[in-house]
Amino acid sequence: MIKVDAAFIERVTSDPEFNATACMNCGVCTAVCPMEIELLPRKLFRYAMLGLKDKVLEHTESVYQCLLCKMCEANCGADVHIADNVRCLRGYISKEIFGL
Amino acid sequence: MSDRRIGVYICHCGGNISDYVAVERVREAVEHEEGVVVAKTTMFACSDASQEEMIEDIREQKLDGMVVASCSPTLHLLTFRGVAERAGLNPYRYVQVNLREQCSWAHTDLPQEATEKAVHLVKAGIAKARLSQSLEKIRIETVPRALVVGAGVAGLRAALALSDLGISVFVAEKSERVGGWLGEFGDTYPHGRSGSGLVDELLKDLEQRENVQIYTEAELVSKSGSVGDFTVELRVKGEPITLNVGSIIVATGFTPYQPEEGEYGYGEDGVVTLPEFVRLLEQCDGQLTYQGRPVKQVAYIYCVGSRDQSGERGHPYCSRYCCNAAVHASSLAHELSPEIHQFHLYRDMRTYGKFELLYMNARKQGALFVRFNEEALPEVSRNDGRLHVKVKDMLTAGEELDIEADLVVLVTGMEPRPNETLNDALKLPVGLDGFFKEIHPKLRPVETVIDGVFIAGAAQAPRNSAESAASALAAAAKTAALLKKGYVELEPLVAMVDAEACAWCGECLEACPYSAVSQASRDGKEIAEINTAVCKGCGACVPVCPRDALQVKGYEDQQVRAMIEALGSAR
Ligand code: SF4
Ligand code: SF4
Ligand code: SF4
Ligand code: SF4
Ligand code: SF4
Repeated sequence: MIKVDAAFIERVTSDPEFNATACMNCGVCTAVCPMEIELLPRKLFRYAMLGLKDKVLEHTESVYQCLLCKMCEANCGADVHIADNVRCLRGYISKEIFGL
Repeated sequence: MSDRRIGVYICHCGGNISDYVAVERVREAVEHEEGVVVAKTTMFACSDASQEEMIEDIREQKLDGMVVASCSPTLHLLTFRGVAERAGLNPYRYVQVNLREQCSWAHTDLPQEATEKAVHLVKAGIAKARLSQSLEKIRIETVPRALVVGAGVAGLRAALALSDLGISVFVAEKSERVGGWLGEFGDTYPHGRSGSGLVDELLKDLEQRENVQIYTEAELVSKSGSVGDFTVELRVKGEPITLNVGSIIVATGFTPYQPEEGEYGYGEDGVVTLPEFVRLLEQCDGQLTYQGRPVKQVAYIYCVGSRDQSGERGHPYCSRYCCNAAVHASSLAHELSPEIHQFHLYRDMRTYGKFELLYMNARKQGALFVRFNEEALPEVSRNDGRLHVKVKDMLTAGEELDIEADLVVLVTGMEPRPNETLNDALKLPVGLDGFFKEIHPKLRPVETVIDGVFIAGAAQAPRNSAESAASALAAAAKTAALLKKGYVELEPLVAMVDAEACAWCGECLEACPYSAVSQASRDGKEIAEINTAVCKGCGACVPVCPRDALQVKGYEDQQVRAMIEALGSAR
C-alpha cells in the first residue's frame, strides 16, 4: 500500500509546464523511445501524478537517462509535453534530493 | 362436394424453392383437390406480372379463395392480401403456405421428402381456404387527445410537441411540482445551461397553450377501452377525474440509486452520492466546502449500483449518464476550487460521443483517473479521523494506493422508478432490469405491446435528458400518426365467445395476456366478453375453456381440424 502524497503532487504538478494529466496511457511514447526507457514517460508521470514520491525517486536514473529528443512528444496523441515534463521532474529531484 | 372456387399458386422463388421441391409435382398433386379451379406454378409469385395474373384469375374465374405457396407470411402475407383486395376478393379469404422456410431451405438434403411435405402443406392451406370467410377490419374512431404520465423533461417535451400538432394533452404528474430531475439541477452539460432554466422555458411555452392541461399530485389509477379511445381515471389531489384520450405516453422517469448503509462507507460523514455532490456544488459560493470545512481532496467511485454482474443487487446494466455527469461535476468543482485534488476511481470510462471532450477537459484540469477492476473494488474506511479510499490501480500494473479524501463521491446510477399503481393500471411489460419494455429496441423503440400506449425517457432505460427529449418526440410523433388519421383499423382475427355455451367460469380471463376478457351480462346470464380492439387473437384463451365456447376468427376449430386432416391424409 502506497500512500498518495498530495503535497508531492502539488509540488510537481504546480509547474505550469507539467501537463501529463492529459495522458491517456496509450504507450506510444514508450514504444518509440530510442533509449528504450521502459518506465518513461507514462508510468513515471503516473507515479508523479498519483503522488507516489518513493516510486519516482526509485527511478531517478531513468529520469536522467532521457535524451529530451522529443521523439515521444511528436507521436503523442494527447499533446503531452513529455520532454518538459521530464525537465520538471529533474528540476524537482535536483533541488529537493540533490540539493542543487 | 365443395362449391368453393379456389386458386392455388406455387412459387419457384427463382430456385430457392424449386431447386429442392419439385413444384410441378406439387401442382399436379393438388390440382384436383376439392374446390380448386386454378392451380399454377410461377417463377416469382410476388412479381408484378404474377400478381396481375392472379388478379385476372380472381376476376375471370370468380375465385372465392386463394392460396399462395411461397415464402414466410412475415414477408409476403400483406402482399398477397393486397392482391386479393385489388381484385375484389376479401383479403381474409387468402391463405399463405410457407414452402421456402418450411420445406426447401429446411430440407436441402431430402428433395423427395421436401416435395411430399410441400404437398401436405399446400393441401392443408387449401383446406383452410375452403372454410375461409370474409372478414372486415375492426374500425375505431380515435379521440384527438393524449395523456402524458410524468412531467419531467420527457413528459413536458412530448406535451409541447403534441400541442404543436394540434392534439390536446393532459399531463399527470405524481409529485407536487413539475420538471422532474432536470428541473432540480443547475449547470448541465454540454452547453452549461441550467436544468431548471430549461424546464422553466418549457413551462413558459406550455402555459400559453390552451390545449394543454397539467395536473400535479395526480396518479393514473385505471384504464379501460382500447387504442384510439381509452377511458382513464386519475386521482388528482385525492379527487377522481375521468378522461377520454386516444393514446397514453408513459414518461415516469427513473429514481437515483440509493446506496445501502455502509456501501463504500455510505452513511459516514463525507461520503455522498453524485446527486448530493452536485447539489453541494450549487450551494457552495467561492470555495468547495462540506459541512463548513474546506475540501482539499475528492475521491469519486464510479459504477455504484450499476454494472453488478454478480447479480446480488440486480443492476446488471450500465446507467449510461453517470460517467458523463461525474466528469462534468469534476470540472465544476475545479472551477469552484482550482487547488483541489480530484481522484476518479473508475471501471471503464464511458464518456461516449461528444462527451469525450468533458473527460478530456477534466484530465486537462488535473483530475486523476485511476482504473480499478471489478474483482478488486475500492474500499472506503475511516482512520485517524479521515476518510481513506484504498484501490488497486490497474494503470500502474496493480499498485495499491491509499488516497486520503475529505469527500468521497459515489457515482450512483439509475433505477427504474417504482410505480405499482401505474403498472397495475396499464399492465405494461417490464424488462428483467425493471424498466418498461419497447416492442423492438431498434425498429419500434417507443411502442409497447399495448396498442396506443407509448413509452419515453428514462422510464424505458437509463438515459440523459437530451436522449429523453428525443424519445419523447418520437413518442409524440407516433401518437400523432395514430390520432391524426381519425380512425384505426385493426385485424379482425380476434376471439369470439359462444354466448350459449359459456357459463362464466373466468378461465379465459385468467389466461389472456392482454386483459382483453371481461365479465358481462347477456340476457340475464353472465358470460365472457372479448374487447375486440384489445384482443390480439393469440388464442391463449381457446384451449383453457372447459366448455369449448371460444374460437379465434380465421382459425376456427373447423378450419384447424380440416387442416390437420389434410396434413395427415395419405399421399
Ligand atoms: S524525449 Fe526522452 S523519453 Fe522521449 S523519446 Fe526522447 S529519450 Fe525517450
Ligand atoms: S504517447 Fe502521450 S498519451 Fe500516450 S502514453 Fe505517452 S504521454 Fe501518454
Ligand atoms: S456510465 Fe460510467 S459510471 Fe455509470 S454505470 Fe456506466 S460505466 Fe459506470
Ligand atoms: S385470443 Fe388471446 S388476446 Fe384474444 S382474448 Fe384470447 S387470450 Fe386474450
Ligand atoms: S373459459 Fe369458456 S366458459 Fe369460461 S368464461 Fe371463458 S368462454 Fe366462458
